[in-house]
Amino acid sequence: MTFLILSQILNGLGLGMLYALVGVGLTLILGVLNIPNFAHGVLYALGAYFAYSIAKMTGSFYFAIFLSPLLVVLVGFLLESQGVRRLYQAHHDYQLLFLFACALIIQEIIIIIWGPIGFSLLPPPSLSGALDLGILIYPKYRLVLICFAFFMIICLYLFLTKTNLGAILRAGIENRDMVKVLGINVNIVFLYTFGLGAYLAGLAGALSAPIMGLTPSMGLDILPICFVVVVIAGLGSIPGAIVAGILIGLSQGAATIWFPEATNVVIYLMMGLTIIFRPQGLFGVR
Amino acid sequence: MFKIILSKSKNKFICFISSIFIMLMPNLVWADTVNILGLFPFSGPYADSGKLLDEGAQIALEEVGYEINGKKIKYITRDSETKAGPAARRAQEAIDTEGVNFIVGPWSSGVALAVTEVAKKNKVMYYFSGGTEDISGKKCHKYAFMWAANAWTAMDADLKIFKKANPDAKKIYLFVVDYAFGWTLQKYVESLAPKYGLEVVGVDRHPLGHREYSTFITKAMSKNPDAVYMINFGLDAISAVRQLNNFGFTPKKPVVMSWSSGFEELIQLDPAARENLIVGSNYYYTIDNPDNKKFVEAYKKRHNGVPPGYAPAAGYGLMKMTLLGMQKSKSVEPQKVITALEEHKGKNFVGEYEIRGRNHQTVRPFFVLQTKKQKDMKDQYDMAEVVDVSSTEQPKNINMCSDIGKF
Repeated sequence: MTFLILSQILNGLGLGMLYALVGVGLTLILGVLNIPNFAHGVLYALGAYFAYSIAKMTGSFYFAIFLSPLLVVLVGFLLESQGVRRLYQAHHDYQLLFLFACALIIQEIIIIIWGPIGFSLLPPPSLSGALDLGILIYPKYRLVLICFAFFMIICLYLFLTKTNLGAILRAGIENRDMVKVLGINVNIVFLYTFGLGAYLAGLAGALSAPIMGLTPSMGLDILPICFVVVVIAGLGSIPGAIVAGILIGLSQGAATIWFPEATNVVIYLMMGLTIIFRPQGLFGVR
Repeated sequence: MFKIILSKSKNKFICFISSIFIMLMPNLVWADTVNILGLFPFSGPYADSGKLLDEGAQIALEEVGYEINGKKIKYITRDSETKAGPAARRAQEAIDTEGVNFIVGPWSSGVALAVTEVAKKNKVMYYFSGGTEDISGKKCHKYAFMWAANAWTAMDADLKIFKKANPDAKKIYLFVVDYAFGWTLQKYVESLAPKYGLEVVGVDRHPLGHREYSTFITKAMSKNPDAVYMINFGLDAISAVRQLNNFGFTPKKPVVMSWSSGFEELIQLDPAARENLIVGSNYYYTIDNPDNKKFVEAYKKRHNGVPPGYAPAAGYGLMKMTLLGMQKSKSVEPQKVITALEEHKGKNFVGEYEIRGRNHQTVRPFFVLQTKKQKDMKDQYDMAEVVDVSSTEQPKNINMCSDIGKF
C-alpha cells in the first residue's frame, strides 16, 4: 500500500504540475484581460505539435522544448493583436464566440497540416526508461517533468513578484483601471500577458507530448481542466492556480486507488464543492 | 367585399395545395433514390475514426458507382459525436427529413444501443460494427445486424494466443473502459481466463476519453501481473500503451490490446512502444485474398500509400453488406433486404462469413496480431503479423438474443 500511495503522490504531482502550468497561463489572461481564453487549449496543442515537428527536423528534443513555446507565443501575439484587442469593449459573448471560433479553426489547421491520426514524441534516450527509487520504480521523464515544471513555476513566481513588469501584471489583475490611470500602456501589458499565457500553455503541451502523445483534439480535452483549475484557484490567483493544479492531480491519483471510475468526475466534484463552499475560489478575492 | 373574401379563399386554397405538394415532394424525390445514412463520430473521443469510417463507406459506394438495382444511392452522413443522445436525434432527423432507410455506423457501442432503438421504431435497416454483444444479444431485433466478430469470439482468441505466446503467465490485470463495450468484454475475459489457466488479479475501469494512465499503471504494477490486458479502444488504448512503455512495463512484459483498430492504433505508437503487444482486431490490411487487395489498393490510392486499418475497413464492410443485401433481394426495401441477408453465407475481404438469422450476428474471422520489433520490420507499415485467425462462434446457450422478433 505504501508503494501505491507514494507512486500515486508522484503521479498526482506530475499531473498537477502540468495542470498548474496551463492553469496559471489561463488565469493570467483571465485576470488581466478579463477574457476567458477558449483558445487556450489549442495553444497547448500547438505547443505539442510544434515540439514534435522541431524534434523531427532537428533531432533535438531539448531544442524542441525550448523553441516550440516561443512559436506559440507568436501565435498568441497574433491572436491578441489582430483579434482579441478589437473586442475588449465588446460584450463577453463576442469575445467567447471569437476565441471559440479560433480554437476550432486552429484545431482544423492542425488536422490539415499534421493529419487526423495522432503521433508519439519520445523523450531523449537519457530520459527514457524508469528509475529505481528503492521503494518504487518511476519513469525518468516524469521525474524530470515534475522538477522542471516546479522550476518554471518558481521562475514565474520570481518574475511576477520581483520584476517591474510582473508588478504591472499583478496590478492589472487587481485593478485594471488604476494601471491605465498610472499612464501605463495597457495594450502592451495585455499583449505581454497573452503572450505569457500562450508560452505557458505551449510549454505544458510540449512537455506533455512524450507522456500523452499528440492528437488534434488534445487542446479541447485539456480546456475543461484548465477552467476547473481557475475556478478552484479563484479568478486571477496565480498561487491558487498552482495549488489547484496540484490538488486536482493528487485527487485523481487518490481516486484511482479507491474508485477508478471516478478519476474524471473527481475534478468536477472538487469544482462543485468549491463553488458551493467558497465561491470566490481557494485564493480568490472576487 | 366579395372580392376580398374570394381573394382570401384563393390564398387559403393556394396555401393548402402548396402544403400538400411540400409534404409529398420529398417522397417523390426519395422514390428514385436509395437513402443511406453513415452515422459516424466526426467529433468526440473517437473523432479520429469518423473520417476513416466515412471513406471506407465511400469506397464501397464507388465500387457500385453510387447505383443499386437501377436506383441512385444518396449517401449522407451525420456526426454521432460519440454521444447516444445527439446520435439518436440525428438518426431520427435523417429518417424524417432525408427519407433514410438504411443506417451504417456509429462505431461506439454505447451510441449503437441508442441508435438501434431508433432503427427498430422506424423500421430502418441498421448495420453496426463494435464491441457490445447486445446488438446481436439481448437488444437484438429484426432490423439490426452486427458486422464485428462477437465479443466472446474475440476474447477467446486473444486469451488463447496470449497463453500460447506466454505459457508461464498466470496473472493478468485488466484496464477496462467504463461503458457498454468494456463491460461486455470484461465479462467474457473473466469467464474465459480460467480456461487458459489465467487469473484476473485486478480490474480498473477508466472513463471513456481518458488520457492519463500513470495512476492506473502504478496500481496495476503493485499487483505484479504477468500482463496488462486492455479492454479499451482508440486514443484511450494508445495513451495507455505509451505510458506502460514509459513505466518500463513493456517490452519486459506483454500487453494485450484485446479489441484494437490494429493499424490505426499501432501507427500512432513509436516502434519502441509497440514492442511485445498482442493485438486483437476485426481487420488487418495483410489479409491475403483478392477482395482485400482490391480494397487496400483503393484506400492506398486515397492516402498516398498508407494502408487501411479497422475503421475504414468497418465503414467499407458495413456498406458492402448493406449493398449485398440489396443486390441479393433485388430490392431497396429494408424488409426484403434483411430477409435476403439472413442465413447468407459468403466470402468477402475479411474471409468466409455467415449471417445468423436467429440473432443477426455476422460470424466471421477475428485476427490476433503480434507486433514486430523495429529490426524485423520490412517497411514502416510492417508493424505486426497475424498469428491467429479465429471464427469460433459464441456458444448458442450464452447468446442472449432469445427472440429476434418480427417485422
